[in-house]
Amino acid sequence: MSGFENHYENNGGIWTMKLKGEVDIYTAAEFKKQLNAAIEEKCGDIHIDCSELEYMDSTGLGVLIGALKRLREQDRNIRLKNLKPNVQRLFHITGLDKIFILEV
Amino acid sequence: MTLADCAENSAVKSRHKDEVVLVLPNKPDYVSVARLTVSGIAGRMGFDVETVEDIKLALAEACTNAIKHGCCEESKEYKVKFGIEPNCLTICVSDKGCGVDKKEICGPDFENPKEGGLGIFIIDTLMDDVELHQVPGSGFTITMKKNLGV
Repeated sequence: MSGFENHYENNGGIWTMKLKGEVDIYTAAEFKKQLNAAIEEKCGDIHIDCSELEYMDSTGLGVLIGALKRLREQDRNIRLKNLKPNVQRLFHITGLDKIFILEV
Repeated sequence: MTLADCAENSAVKSRHKDEVVLVLPNKPDYVSVARLTVSGIAGRMGFDVETVEDIKLALAEACTNAIKHGCCEESKEYKVKFGIEPNCLTICVSDKGCGVDKKEICGPDFENPKEGGLGIFIIDTLMDDVELHQVPGSGFTITMKKNLGV
């Protein structure tokens, strides 16, 4: 399956977005749009559930870095949860596991 | 006998390099096709699952680079060539653009992380040997190698 779906749950001011399938150059623009909409519309931190995220590359990282910068300006944060080993590895080799909060 | 054994036997017998070539439109839509293709090739050669994931990611970064920087008026496509040898997979991604300078590639800046520019760094990290080749007026090629059983 390619593409992804988002589910928002308003749970104590935390917005959870669930990524599914693959985030690459084809789907990154839609991911960016959805994530930016969530940042603008809501307050609080954003949690991204990656349990069904099969693949991500630097295009997805770019979207997340952009979002993190915007959120930090407002003292908000992103938390990435349930990463599969291949996605976790992407954060590790780029050193971005030191910048993002990851929950494996 | 596993698929990998079959591949090894056929490659050893033939003693020459097999080649598979993809010509892809300069559109994001088809990067997944390159990923699927390399999964099939690398899996059949006998790379383990984690290494296949690494090769897939490296190739996707090269394709993304070709689409972002390799488009010009004369060419609406880029080429991915797989060279299959018994102990080595070589992948060349060629476009008609002006490419990137490896000297300008650096790791992520943690103080001020950027939204782009990680692609070549990722390729360099994941593959055994990476060369960037620029021919002025002709195009840009990324050649990357992964050795089997190292």
